[in-house]
Amino acid sequence: MRLYIKYDGIVACRVILQEQLERLNIKHKLLELGEIEISNTVSDVDFAELQASLNRYAIYIVNNEKSQLIQRIKDTIVEMIYENDKLPAVTISQYLSDKLNLSYGYITNVFTENTYSSIENFIIIQKIERAKKLILEDQLTLTEVSYKLNYSSVAYLSSQFKKVTGLTPSAFKRIVDKRRNLSN
Amino acid sequence: MKLKKLYKNTQIFKIALGIAIVVVGYIASVFYTQMRGLDSSVDLITNSTETQLELEKILSTISMYESNLRGYIITKDESYIKNRFLRRGEIDQNILKIKELVASNPNRVKDIERLNKLIDHRFDLFRETLLLSKSKYFDSVIFNKKLQESNSFTESMKTFVYKTINAEGDKIKVHNVNHQFELEDSIISAFLLVILTLLILLLSFNKTNVDVVELKKANDEMKFLNLSFTNAEKIAGFGHWKINIETGLYTFSDNFYRLLGEEPNAFEPKLENLNKYIHRDDLENVIQSHKDSLISYEPTSLTFRFVLTNGEIKYIKSVGSFTQNSKGEMIKTGVNHDITEQYVKTLKLEESNTELKSINEELESFNNIVSHDLQEPLHKIQMFISRIGDNDKETISEQGKTYLSKIGISANKMQALLIDLVNYSRTIKGDKVFEEVNLNDIVNVVIDDLSSSIDDKKAVIEVGSLPTIKGISFQIDQLFVNLITNSLKYSKDTIAPQINIYIEDIGIDEFYNDKLILDSDYHKIVIRDNGIGFKQEYADKIFMLFQRLETSPKYSGTGLGLAICKKIVDNHHGYITVQSEPNIGTTFYVFMPKEI
Amino acid sequence: MISHNDSMHILIADDDEDDRTFFSEAMMELKMNNKLTLFNDGKDLMDYLANPDIIMPHILFLDLNMPYMSGFECLKGIRADVRFKDVSIAIYSTSSSEKDIEETFVEGANIYIKKPNDFTKLKKVIKEVVNINWQFHSSGLNKETFFFSI
Repeated sequence: MRLYIKYDGIVACRVILQEQLERLNIKHKLLELGEIEISNTVSDVDFAELQASLNRYAIYIVNNEKSQLIQRIKDTIVEMIYENDKLPAVTISQYLSDKLNLSYGYITNVFTENTYSSIENFIIIQKIERAKKLILEDQLTLTEVSYKLNYSSVAYLSSQFKKVTGLTPSAFKRIVDKRRNLSN
Repeated sequence: MKLKKLYKNTQIFKIALGIAIVVVGYIASVFYTQMRGLDSSVDLITNSTETQLELEKILSTISMYESNLRGYIITKDESYIKNRFLRRGEIDQNILKIKELVASNPNRVKDIERLNKLIDHRFDLFRETLLLSKSKYFDSVIFNKKLQESNSFTESMKTFVYKTINAEGDKIKVHNVNHQFELEDSIISAFLLVILTLLILLLSFNKTNVDVVELKKANDEMKFLNLSFTNAEKIAGFGHWKINIETGLYTFSDNFYRLLGEEPNAFEPKLENLNKYIHRDDLENVIQSHKDSLISYEPTSLTFRFVLTNGEIKYIKSVGSFTQNSKGEMIKTGVNHDITEQYVKTLKLEESNTELKSINEELESFNNIVSHDLQEPLHKIQMFISRIGDNDKETISEQGKTYLSKIGISANKMQALLIDLVNYSRTIKGDKVFEEVNLNDIVNVVIDDLSSSIDDKKAVIEVGSLPTIKGISFQIDQLFVNLITNSLKYSKDTIAPQINIYIEDIGIDEFYNDKLILDSDYHKIVIRDNGIGFKQEYADKIFMLFQRLETSPKYSGTGLGLAICKKIVDNHHGYITVQSEPNIGTTFYVFMPKEI
Repeated sequence: MISHNDSMHILIADDDEDDRTFFSEAMMELKMNNKLTLFNDGKDLMDYLANPDIIMPHILFLDLNMPYMSGFECLKGIRADVRFKDVSIAIYSTSSSEKDIEETFVEGANIYIKKPNDFTKLKKVIKEVVNINWQFHSSGLNKETFFFSI
């Protein structure tokens, strides 16, 4: 006899997580995409127990240190892009390894392994995100925006904007304006 | 000039006339008093002369009595003293007359009274002398004394009388002089009066004359205008009407009747008489709207049909509005306009418009077919080709692979054609929004979009500083895509393509089809390459639809790219020209207006 | 942070069977192992979404030209429901007209994909889309201004 089964991996995974967490009396909230928020402190014994029981279902708790590092990398990049009035002229690799006191090779490896993106890509997306905000604020010209975000030229900003969004900055602004008009 | 204007001004003229009449009245009254004065001075003179006369009469009577008395004394002839001797009747009469004459002069009255007394005394002397002469006791001494007394008294009386007479004479002289002056004044006054009256008369006459001439001119013009108006109504197919709301009377113009297909004044101008001419379906609305307006005084604008007696139907636009005439009565005046011709034309236009719309819709749906429905199966073909290529590479024969690749090339060609067709139809279609377009931004984006083919060809593109123009963004984008693609496509194998995009000043003698192009009006954008080029004689051909110079499969193309460019530049009211030389390269010149 | 392999739940509504097949094959070959649910048209999709018990999808691919209910209508309907405010909507169409791109973005689409004519390219596009969507999801970027046209 052959059985054909149909299953929903996400649902199955959520059920398993819930069962195991409740078994160890861990107060939790299941977030999207493999994140769990735990609100009480968990003893080392319980944590090891949880880790062991989840591993049986091929669910692994990602190394704490690494996830913390990734968060620090992200924070550092976001801070660099948002906090400064003008981006520092030093290279990103220099900036990150100075700030985090780690070799850039190690940083990129950890980052790429645990996110679906390279650091460079992440930076580009963040810079374009900032550019979007600045464009919508309508205070600066595109030239000023490109200067602020340390682009060598407006053309370069435009082309990177187009790569990330598929739109030109002006089309982007037009669409957002129209969308806002629509919801008003 | 100014005077003439003043003269023409009736108001001013009226004022002048008023002033003139006042002046004439004044002068006339002066003249009247002068005449009155003259009258009295004539009276005075007559009076004085009569007084003199009467006085002399008295003197002569007394002298006569004196000589009679003397005659009697000498001759003792009684006849001298008979016959009313020493009667005072005549003298009393004279005195009475003088008294009348001098009654207005109290001094003179006193003089006369004195004279009367003198005369009394003289008569006393006469009587005494007579008595003495008749007395038997004639004493010549006393008698002589009496005679002498009489004589001297007579002398003094004469002196008194002459003094009076002289005084009257002097008075006459003065009167005469005054009279003379008054007479002269009166003459001047009379003369002035005549002159002024004449002047006013002349002016009035002239003014009246001018007025009459002008009135006649105005009248003639009015007549002419009326005639022209009647004519104009006829030519333009207008008819006018009015109704006095107070009296309820209608007036219809001649052409009003003609619009109804009737002779002027064919029937009495009454609303009811129109009923049979108004189309049955329109009648109620027309009459109601008109009647409502007579209450509300709102202007009306109606379109309806007249049905003529011969069955012809006329479309009429009737507009009416309200005014007040000089009597303050409300008048509704209106114009009926025969719009049959326009109406029929509009109908036709609407018809062809609908037709055009449906053609446009068809074009639009054709466009949809090309851009979507045709692309979908093509997309499938391409996908399946790529699937076969991926999965069954090993099992397909070499020939099969060649065929597959040829299918792929054809499919790609077809796709390019479909895309160009859509692009071309988009340049024809409406939605042309002109906005500020920074050409440098556009070119940068285009270069970015084309980066893979640019990299493939190892092409170098240099872009100078380009202006910002008013344009349709996506079309300008398309223009540069097509021009740069063109340059990349027709590049030489031996050297890397070099494309330069920049602006250039327009020379003083640059023409496009005989039209002079001025630097002040246009931007000249140059796109220069070092490609294979072509013979200049084909320059015009390359912008035509489906005209291709290169047929070698190496240079694939749809024959639409440059036609699209031309269309886009046309849409921007610009010009595109090309200069080329085989093996040297091609240069496109795009002239875009600086202001739209 | 806990990771599991089923990272994405993806829905696609396309009336063209071949395109649905290309899409699922591409997903499979990418070995992304995401959960993919296919719908034959917009109506099917909307009926499914009307169920309150469903697990929220991460990305929703919509073909524009569908019978019964076009992708554009679906887009409007989904954006009118706050339940789906965090769902990324990707338009998946043969049309590459600027008008369609702009209108769908204005109406709330996040991604616009012109159906590639090459399978390899399709895989690349799906990978890129899933990646950028992940970025938006994981890096707290502003969904309001999330646009990606490819």
